[in-house]
Amino acid sequence: MARSARTTPGRLGIIASALVVLSVLTGFVAALALQTKQDTISGLAEHREPLSAAAQQIYRSLSDADATAASAFLSGGSEPVELRERYEVDLAQAGAALVKAASDVEGIPDAEKQVDTLGQQLPVYTGLVETARANNRFGLPIGSAYLREASTLMRTKLLPAAQELYRIDVGRLTDEQDDAASFPWLTVALTVILLGALIATQVYLTRRTNRLINVGLLVSTVAVGIGLIWGVAAGWVSAVAVGNARDEGSQQVDVLVQARIVALKCRADETLTLVARGEGGAEYEKEWQVLAPTISGKGDGDKDLLVKARDAATDSAVSGEVRSAIDNAQAWQEAHRKMRELDDGGQYDQAVAMAIGDDDTGAAKAFNRLDENLSSAIQKGREKFVESTSSAENALIGLVPGVAVLALIAAGGALVGIRQRLREYR
Amino acid sequence: MKRVALLLVAAFALTACGGPGRPVDLAVVTSADRPEPEGSGPGQAGSGGTEAPDCGDPTASLRPNGLGIPAGSTMAKIRERGRLIAGVDQNTYLFGFRNPSTNKIEGFDIDMAKQVAKAIFNDENKIQFKAISSRDRENVLANGDVDIVVRTYTINCERLEKVAFSAVYYTTGQRVLVPKSSTITRIDDLGGKKICASSGSTSLTQIARHPAKPVPWSVVNWSDCLVLLQQGQVSAISTDEPILVGMAAQDPAVKIVGPKLTEEPYGIGIPKANTDMVKFVNAVLERSRGDGSWQQSYNRWIADRLGEPASPPTPKYRD
Repeated sequence: MARSARTTPGRLGIIASALVVLSVLTGFVAALALQTKQDTISGLAEHREPLSAAAQQIYRSLSDADATAASAFLSGGSEPVELRERYEVDLAQAGAALVKAASDVEGIPDAEKQVDTLGQQLPVYTGLVETARANNRFGLPIGSAYLREASTLMRTKLLPAAQELYRIDVGRLTDEQDDAASFPWLTVALTVILLGALIATQVYLTRRTNRLINVGLLVSTVAVGIGLIWGVAAGWVSAVAVGNARDEGSQQVDVLVQARIVALKCRADETLTLVARGEGGAEYEKEWQVLAPTISGKGDGDKDLLVKARDAATDSAVSGEVRSAIDNAQAWQEAHRKMRELDDGGQYDQAVAMAIGDDDTGAAKAFNRLDENLSSAIQKGREKFVESTSSAENALIGLVPGVAVLALIAAGGALVGIRQRLREYR
Repeated sequence: MKRVALLLVAAFALTACGGPGRPVDLAVVTSADRPEPEGSGPGQAGSGGTEAPDCGDPTASLRPNGLGIPAGSTMAKIRERGRLIAGVDQNTYLFGFRNPSTNKIEGFDIDMAKQVAKAIFNDENKIQFKAISSRDRENVLANGDVDIVVRTYTINCERLEKVAFSAVYYTTGQRVLVPKSSTITRIDDLGGKKICASSGSTSLTQIARHPAKPVPWSVVNWSDCLVLLQQGQVSAISTDEPILVGMAAQDPAVKIVGPKLTEEPYGIGIPKANTDMVKFVNAVLERSRGDGSWQQSYNRWIADRLGEPASPPTPKYRD
């Protein structure tokens, strides 16, 4: 080899092998990187996003179950059928979402821990609620002690675990979105080097042989060029779509979910203040006072989640939902203010009616409308996410086999082109 | 396809390792994490130091001066407000509890509070109940959040430094409640075992100072104690007999054992500065003893369940 490298045919042989190896290597690396990217993008829509949605569903359902149990308790006598049904549906949804969330925590100890807590404590919670219910039916005040214990379990263990799980899942989603939109430096660098090598070889051959065009190498160069342009263009389109899915989809959903969590916490505080009926209730009301301004629709986008969601909304359907959410949040806060006035003024029964009654201007109705607005805005945000993510996926269709074939063409072209010249030396 | 490939690789890796694999250990969870009522934890004796201050006979109150309401008096201010604010319990069966079927607060203590409202407004329903915990009783009176506290409130010298009390309206003593299957017959058998009482109560102090050295366990509400006992998290509950009777009425699987350990005179707590209110409340109590309304309340809530009749305690006054 060392000797043959000094002769032109020897050098050509080495160049040919190098080009073939480089083409095949570039093709292999590119195909692998593209396949990984495709898997990441399809994983976003098929696993990551549904899991973060499942985590928020767990939180919502559990929190609503707790607030509903408190409302049923406040209504006195035998609990209203619709509240019982709502509680049952909440628990069924939480259970189903938990199973989904549990399917994908392997290898992430922190997430495993949250799912473990939820799995262990949820049956305990329901047991306590049913014990409370049985005692309430007997007219025994120990029922309310069981309900308080259940609510404490919910607020100190279950809800924090669900919130943490959601945070972890959103973090994983964001990380993988970054992966999916990242620039494939290695592949592009290899392709550019290959392209440069092909061009350099052609310049070298032209000087040595005085022939302007080598068909084989030209085909190679064109194939690599097509691969580069196609890859960069498709990659760019895909990255832009992933970015849209994040900005208009998942990030928007995250803000809405946070607003919903705040609304649920406020609702639980509102009912628990009335259940406590005195000193212990001051803590809940204090939390309400801290949390409520973050969903009042009046502050600036830094502190007010609903304003943030409204300002960030690009879709008219989403911003419409957020606008009515703001109206309903304000109606709710007005009802809450009146309710507190009644309770502080000694009109407890009227305050309870204001908080859980069927009146259209009451707190319960306003909260339900707000929750529906947020739920449907979240759904629309999720649709936007799936739409953009699947267009990111579509942009890459055919690229993997395409790149592989182009690499083989490049290798073949280089081989054929150089052999043609070599033959001339014999 | 990818999964198949992974499986093949895994299978190869396993066989390559040589020795057989071990089954995944499922017994990581060996104990259950028990739920606890909010604020439940190891208990401490009352804040009064080791020796309670001596104030003579704490049960001697101010002599009543009729049911008239002079202008500018505390009662006149309450009447102006339109309602009496009473700090009560909503979790202690028979004394102050929320009736789950009506959402109303009822009980022996509640009847006493209603008597006071009736004397001011001639309407026992002009009253706002604020549920408070045992440990908050002194605070709400000191802050003026409530006009009276009627909440199984034992009169003692330590408390008299911060609040004023009416004359005694009920006298009882501390006993012990255990599961029916238990072999315990008195508090002395409970050395090293957890006994539950509400935080800030005289009962908790009594448990903490008992020579048999039981472990005091404190909760916010009396009914939380029964929850803990039913869940097997404490061995016994110790407090005033009628509160225990209220628990036994909710759970046929418990029994009350042992002698009365203490004497607990209940009074209505009033902000220390409102001496006119103390005299007024004592006049209300006097009326309820005279017109049979005390007896009626006692018979309604306590007599049958305790299994013994009682008559109202004789009041003592300082002069």
